[in-house]
Amino acid sequence: MQFNITVIGQALIATLDGDLDLHTCPQFKDALTKALDTNSNVKNLVFDVQNLTFIDSSGLGVILGRYRAVQARGGKLFFVKASPHMQRVLKLAGMHRISEFVDSTTEVLNRA
Amino acid sequence: MMKNWIELVFPGTSINVSFARAVVAHFAAQLDITLDELEDIKVAVSEAVSNCVVHGYREKEGNVVIRASYEESRLEIIVEDFGHGIPDIEVAQETGYTTLPEERMGLGLTFMREYMDELHIYSEVEVGTKVVMVKQIPARQAG
Repeated sequence: MQFNITVIGQALIATLDGDLDLHTCPQFKDALTKALDTNSNVKNLVFDVQNLTFIDSSGLGVILGRYRAVQARGGKLFFVKASPHMQRVLKLAGMHRISEFVDSTTEVLNRA
Repeated sequence: MMKNWIELVFPGTSINVSFARAVVAHFAAQLDITLDELEDIKVAVSEAVSNCVVHGYREKEGNVVIRASYEESRLEIIVEDFGHGIPDIEVAQETGYTTLPEERMGLGLTFMREYMDELHIYSEVEVGTKVVMVKQIPARQAG
């Protein structure tokens, strides 16, 4: 699994490529935590999941954990280009209630 | 009669989670199965094997055994570890329940139940846990 994390203004944008599961999530979790710790102004988490080929509850746990951190800052959670299967997994985990499915990161950045 | 089976034995480590779901998905693909059904199976197997690694073995080492079989339209997947076991299966099946709240969502069994048609759990403390999952693959019209 490969990922890229960028901070633009108050948004942290994480682009994921590959499978996010029990084995790959610790590295992603550490990178997200570090980025949030060093950018205390970040409120919104934007996950570009267009090229994310697999996610299970281990991966969702990492995302939910980081969301809880920005929730205290009044932040929001966005998923960019989630496939129908990805949306189904997110809905089953109840994450559709705390997030928005959007078509592009620009859409989120333009709201700021 | 269409019938086949496989058995896998591998160390219960996180690096083998993706291997396990890929192998079972390849096996299931021998059936007339949709991509959505394959994704369901991959999630269910990933959750079951992750549970073996995280809860079954925790800091200790041990093997995971997967037996997958199908007969006509019935696909059965058994995932077994020989680790710590589950003290209370009913409580463990509650959505959101986890013994590791800092790291886990407690959704593993919920996902398995949702993505498969049947889920049966057998466990004994310090003996191990066996999860039996069944998915019916409906016959489809060609073309």
